[in-house]
Amino acid sequence: MRARRSRSNLPLLLVAIALAAACSSVADDPAGGADAPEGSDTEVGQRNAEEADAQEGGAATDAASPVALTIAIGGDEGSLTPYTYRTGYPGWNLLGLVWDTLLVLDASNEPQPLLAADWSVDDAGTTWTLTLREGVTWHDGEPFTADDVAFTFDYVTRFTQSRWTNAVAGVVDVTVVDDLAVTVELDAPDPEFAVRPLADMPMLPEHIWSSIDEPEAATSDHAVGTGPYRLTEYEQDQRYRLDANADYFAGPPRVEVLNIAVFADPSTAFAALRSGELDMSAIQLEPQLVEQFEAADDLAVARGSGFASTLLQINTERLVLDRTEVRQAIGLAIDPSELLEVVLLGTGTAPNPGFVHPDSPLADTSLTHTFDPGAANDLLDDIGAAPGVDGVRALDGEPLSFELLVYADNPPRIRAAELLQELLAEVGIEVLISPQEAATVDDQVWPGFDVSQGRDFDLSMWGWSAPVMLDAGRIAALGHSDPAIGSLNIGGLDDAAVDAAADAVQAAEDAEQRQAAAQELQAALADARPFVTLYYADEIFGYRPASYDGWVFQDGQGILSKLSFVDVV
Amino acid sequence: MTTRRLSLRVGQYLLVLLLAVGLNFALPRAMPGGPLATLGGEDVGLLGAEEREQLLAEYDLDRPLPEQFGRYLAGVATGDLGTSFVDRRPVSERLLARLPWTLLLVGSSLVLTTVVGVAVGAWAAGRRERRRDTGTIIGVLAIDAAPPFWIGMLLIAGFGVQLGWLPTFGAVTPGGPGGLGDVLAHLVLPVTTLTLAGFAQTALVTRSSMLSVLGSEPLFVARAKGVPRRRLLGRHALRTAALPVHTLVLMEMGWLIGGAVVVETVFSYPGVGRLLFEAVLARDFPVMQGAFLLLTVTVIAANLLADLTYPLLDPRVRHPVEVTQ
Repeated sequence: MRARRSRSNLPLLLVAIALAAACSSVADDPAGGADAPEGSDTEVGQRNAEEADAQEGGAATDAASPVALTIAIGGDEGSLTPYTYRTGYPGWNLLGLVWDTLLVLDASNEPQPLLAADWSVDDAGTTWTLTLREGVTWHDGEPFTADDVAFTFDYVTRFTQSRWTNAVAGVVDVTVVDDLAVTVELDAPDPEFAVRPLADMPMLPEHIWSSIDEPEAATSDHAVGTGPYRLTEYEQDQRYRLDANADYFAGPPRVEVLNIAVFADPSTAFAALRSGELDMSAIQLEPQLVEQFEAADDLAVARGSGFASTLLQINTERLVLDRTEVRQAIGLAIDPSELLEVVLLGTGTAPNPGFVHPDSPLADTSLTHTFDPGAANDLLDDIGAAPGVDGVRALDGEPLSFELLVYADNPPRIRAAELLQELLAEVGIEVLISPQEAATVDDQVWPGFDVSQGRDFDLSMWGWSAPVMLDAGRIAALGHSDPAIGSLNIGGLDDAAVDAAADAVQAAEDAEQRQAAAQELQAALADARPFVTLYYADEIFGYRPASYDGWVFQDGQGILSKLSFVDVV
Repeated sequence: MTTRRLSLRVGQYLLVLLLAVGLNFALPRAMPGGPLATLGGEDVGLLGAEEREQLLAEYDLDRPLPEQFGRYLAGVATGDLGTSFVDRRPVSERLLARLPWTLLLVGSSLVLTTVVGVAVGAWAAGRRERRRDTGTIIGVLAIDAAPPFWIGMLLIAGFGVQLGWLPTFGAVTPGGPGGLGDVLAHLVLPVTTLTLAGFAQTALVTRSSMLSVLGSEPLFVARAKGVPRRRLLGRHALRTAALPVHTLVLMEMGWLIGGAVVVETVFSYPGVGRLLFEAVLARDFPVMQGAFLLLTVTVIAANLLADLTYPLLDPRVRHPVEVTQ
């Protein structure tokens, strides 16, 4: 009887235990989402902050050259060819394990030789001469030659759904001089050419890809590169197996096998990392887990500044929000340091109101965010936006009450939205938070991914991925009122000063002019306030140092790259 | 059941199926957003207007909706579910690759929810006789109210991370030796999650059905005759009470398939549910249609099966005239 009674309460007990354990974390990838253009080139790098203490001698030897590592990624990346991978990060980074580019960016994002052993540019800046490395072979044993280079330039021009088609638009001619020499003729000098396409575009094997007329349907059989790893197994939505290419020109990779596991839910990946099933997670670690990972003996984090931005995007066409003063008041009412502390637990960088990360070479570092609720109130008082009975201000009978869209699968952004709601309430602006599925938010903010189709929102949590931060042309695209130039002007800004500065960026003839114009543009954006830059989250990745400790942090890219496995630079 | 009634019933189900086929086409297109981000890849924002149109035209998305619907119907009728927007592989091929995993997951869970549900329900009914099943009911209801993803996360935290007993993701260990043991080990946590989240309905129906049988006259007589308690519960009551449970178990299929979408996502399990989840995020219309169709057919088939097999278990339905009172 006694035993029975206690057993009858077992389900209740289970529930109680469950509730107690419920504090374990569930959250999402903060920098990801459908933020649009993802990936690519960055600046300023730094080595990862790993504590390289392998506990015992034996473990240290094992860790130096482990046989196999299991690595998590956050979604399927197709058949891992240049036309079938899915995301800028980590898809493009995985590509780099199988495929090689002519140049490669080192940990500080400086171009270094890879398939091209040497390169030079003529005085006019339009003729690039590339000398290829000798003795490089494709994974199937065929030699890599200058013909493959010419073929690749031609292929990405013909099949336009590639990330490199725009980057090679200025190429007038590619000439094969001999098996190991190529010259590339440009229609105008392009200071970015070494970074993109040369250090970004994987070389395709002509003997395999010349017969592929539908590259979007390329299979893993077509994933034949010259890179340090061969793709040997692919199970969609499940896993990839990469085997070391023993014939790699820079020597065999330090890890023999990479098992890449595809996760549908980031929190499961972090659990698997803690349980020891994973050796590294290429899915960004959530801020609230960083301390726990740093404190654990068997876990470590690699961390660097991230160039993905988080913004409060404003629809500048909406009634009331079309007043610059209102947008400026919103900016003044926001305290980014509070967001940094509460949402990111300090793992991020304070914003430049002109969008650009202070570590980006384009940044105007003299611009800083001003938090001054008093000034915000004054500004709103001055334009006659008086508070109503409920404390919400109204301008010309229109209440300052706005809906704030946010991705429902992005808890950090939802948390940030809640803080914004409190901060804006202080100055009499009401914010109604509306978490919705990502594609549904995109459809209202950026219908058809085409700003000329208009927009239907008040405010939205938003973010752009790293490449936007490094490309003055794309910064111009953020604010120019002509959709042909302002392809990322999702707030519909129409501001003469911003347009003028963006035009100056477009017209710049050399890097110096472009730099000056870009800084002008940032000041104009900070003043016109089509968005409020909130913060830039750090890139943080968890790994098990006892399994492998040779990770190299490439800034803006993380640790999943060939730099971590072979000595190419 | 007469042939006429049978054909009538099957006809009803066909009508439901037809409606479902129509809805499967309409719902994905009624969702906000579209497949452009999937088709255009990572630099979709930089596409020009012409490239955009060309892209949509390649997938027939520029055609009027009635025409698209006609093509879809013709395809379904001939067994062609189209090709995925994501990788241009045939939808049927992608579904078939996932189906075995979902069958394994949902099948095991169905057996377990039934066994556990009936056992807990019968046990609770037995205790009800002694007025002590309140704790059980509250516990069962609490577990039932817990969302499956949350149960899954707790099991991962407990048995995967803390104890390290069981794998937490996937259907097999990546790069591992594979084999039956590996597959079974990976099945434990997802199946436990689905079972915990699903057994309550069966338990509650079994309990109430048992209670009504226990209070009936034949049972009163049996008890008066001195039939031992265990035999009374197990043989006399449970058998009679099993009828509504049988219907429920087959209806439970639909619930488990819905649960599989969540559980397969939490455990990164490569089933149809996860395929559907990924397809919804990508707005991969053909895969959404195909996966929805597969799930609809399964649920309808389970219901039809319940309808058709019920008379085999219950003579009163087989010979309706004889039971009129």
